[in-house]
Amino acid sequence: MVGKDVKLPGTYLKGDEMYKLPGLVEHRPEAKYEFASGQAQGRFLQGLKEGKILGVKCPRCGRVYVPPRMYCEYCMAPTTEWVELSGEGEVHTAVVSYISTFRARLEKPEIIAVIRLYAPGYTGKPDEYEFPGIFHKLCNVEPDDVVSGRIIGARVRPRWRPPEERRGSVTDIECFEPVVEG
Amino acid sequence: MKPNIFVKDRVAVVGAGITLFRRRLLETPRELAWEAASMALESAGLTLRDIDCIVIGSAPDAFDGVHMKGEYLADGSGGVFKPTVRVYVGGGTGVFVPIAAWWHVASGHCDTVLAVAEEKMSPAHPHPQGVFAYIWDPILERPLGPNLIWIFALEMRRYMHKCGVKKETIAKVSVKNKRNALDHPAAQAAARITVEDVLKSEVLVWPVQRLDISPVSDGAAALVLARENVARRVTDSPVWVEGVGFTLDNTHWYNRELAYPRYVNYAARMAYKMAGIERPWKEIDVAEPYDPFDYKELHHIEGLMLARPCEAPKLLEEGWFDRSGELPTSPSGGLLGVGNPIAAAGLMKVAELFWQLRYEAGARQVKKPVHLGVAQAWGDLMQAGTVIVLGN
Amino acid sequence: MAMWGKDPRVSVRYPGRMEVEKYVYTPGLHGLELAKALKEGRLIGTRCGDTIYFPPTTFCPDHAMGEPVEIKGPWIVEAYTVVREDSSSRRLDKPVVIAYITPLDAEGGLIHYVEASEEEIAPGIEVEPVFAPPEKRKGTIRDILYFKVKNSAQE
Repeated sequence: MVGKDVKLPGTYLKGDEMYKLPGLVEHRPEAKYEFASGQAQGRFLQGLKEGKILGVKCPRCGRVYVPPRMYCEYCMAPTTEWVELSGEGEVHTAVVSYISTFRARLEKPEIIAVIRLYAPGYTGKPDEYEFPGIFHKLCNVEPDDVVSGRIIGARVRPRWRPPEERRGSVTDIECFEPVVEG
Repeated sequence: MKPNIFVKDRVAVVGAGITLFRRRLLETPRELAWEAASMALESAGLTLRDIDCIVIGSAPDAFDGVHMKGEYLADGSGGVFKPTVRVYVGGGTGVFVPIAAWWHVASGHCDTVLAVAEEKMSPAHPHPQGVFAYIWDPILERPLGPNLIWIFALEMRRYMHKCGVKKETIAKVSVKNKRNALDHPAAQAAARITVEDVLKSEVLVWPVQRLDISPVSDGAAALVLARENVARRVTDSPVWVEGVGFTLDNTHWYNRELAYPRYVNYAARMAYKMAGIERPWKEIDVAEPYDPFDYKELHHIEGLMLARPCEAPKLLEEGWFDRSGELPTSPSGGLLGVGNPIAAAGLMKVAELFWQLRYEAGARQVKKPVHLGVAQAWGDLMQAGTVIVLGN
Repeated sequence: MAMWGKDPRVSVRYPGRMEVEKYVYTPGLHGLELAKALKEGRLIGTRCGDTIYFPPTTFCPDHAMGEPVEIKGPWIVEAYTVVREDSSSRRLDKPVVIAYITPLDAEGGLIHYVEASEEEIAPGIEVEPVFAPPEKRKGTIRDILYFKVKNSAQE
């Protein structure tokens, strides 16, 4: 019987009790890394530097991958064709972040989104489970647009940084912003 | 009961153990493993000498701050000079531990397995968030300065949009689970709260607020599994492993519909098929879906086919998932109430099914009679689904 | 077909850093007993039946709870090595002797510094711990500054 009143093992340390323990050992990891972008992502990043969003196409099943990969994960075949996308897409979901990576409060909240990109061969119908997409920030969007849901499904396009500021990074796109009809 | 003819040996859970779940514990990770393992052995009426094989589960090494965590945890888990493996599928690990233990026995390789899951998240400073930063893609995602909560908020928002669910409804999962946890002896975050408390708590990444999230925890849990002839010898009430399932999607989480967890659904179908379950929404009596965030429980209930897509919020409102309801979910109190030492939290859910199916859960025992239960965990970048079906 | 291959234009490298400021490790159950003992200039191990283990393990090989007991030595050098370079391959002014040292009254042992010349150090010699002054002890293994050769001229 493991009901409410069973006494379980485990010795709880309250608040800063831990920091007063004798025998506490601290260690600072000094791990630094260098990540290589690899082939498919490398070309994708080069494309961003040139103001283009690139995908790859599988020769067997026709799936378009953004971000691109060297292989089709369904066919295990090498992808053989680059596809340039218009860059426009629809907001799949969006949120309002009030905190930084380390939970510090932000002065101005950020809008974060997943964008379903328009690509040949994809219908954009709501029942399509997979799609070429990108994870980025939105600008010209208010928190209330997220809360009310107005922004979901809205058409957006990338706002590129000036060419001289681009480094071959996802941040070469400053953000995505709504396309104003007219 | 439809035994699976392709399995050599039927496997039962015969013992379970758990430590307190707390923000900080004095014990070293291997001592936590030992405490949970000892309790599981004792509850099975066995000693370490009776155990053939060991399965260990633990999430990234970077939480405990110890590399080779499987090897590190080996002695505390009873694995010295025994076939010992460590399994890992992110948050899905806790339920993957008994799945791996099952195939050890079902294959005929071992008669008895001690399955141990441990997590100590308190060593990483200033906050385990720093470790979570390394689940993001270093090139395409980390330059945006993401916080772990972003991905959950994005998924929750999509689910709310697609299914027309209000935050007020989702908050009821947190209220239910924290209340259920008041009866759990290991609980770290048990509380009597209201929907208003959740909605008034700090907004972190809208729609996610502080009380929508499970806490950071230290803790361990363990089970003893045995083949049929051993199980019948050591207990009058073995709890059978009727089905197991596990699947993995890719890391490209922003290339898919976030409103429905297909990876959980595929794993569930695999487990139900093995268990001979055709209508899980009718046949399952009690469920422990993974609930690191409140909306995740609803999301997973749908993935497990315990409700139709977008139907779980409505059933929740009707009290369907309460302990006294038609299909109680997270009667333990879940991760939201008991705590979330990652791998140990998943195994805690399987341990709860064990106690429920033996009518040993005390104040937590669900009202209805129980024959079949399902536990599930999810892991990584919206990728891993691990599902186990137990029956008495 | 050959879309993938060596193309220097597309080789982009990204720096990263482990964003954990530090790890804090708790000593554990018998570890805490050892920490308290170290502050008093003593060492403890774990008794399991007729066997005593050092360092203390809390639990025994059969998974029963052990009992903390004092370890008195004598301490014997089992194996040693002489380190001449630091971790960045810089030559050290003075070589450092590191040894695996076992107590005769327990199973196990520890790795620690030995204050000994290369002529003195040898497997089988007896050594003894030299503790930091009481006010500087923190309950960690560095409360032992080093082991010195027993009956040697060094003070």
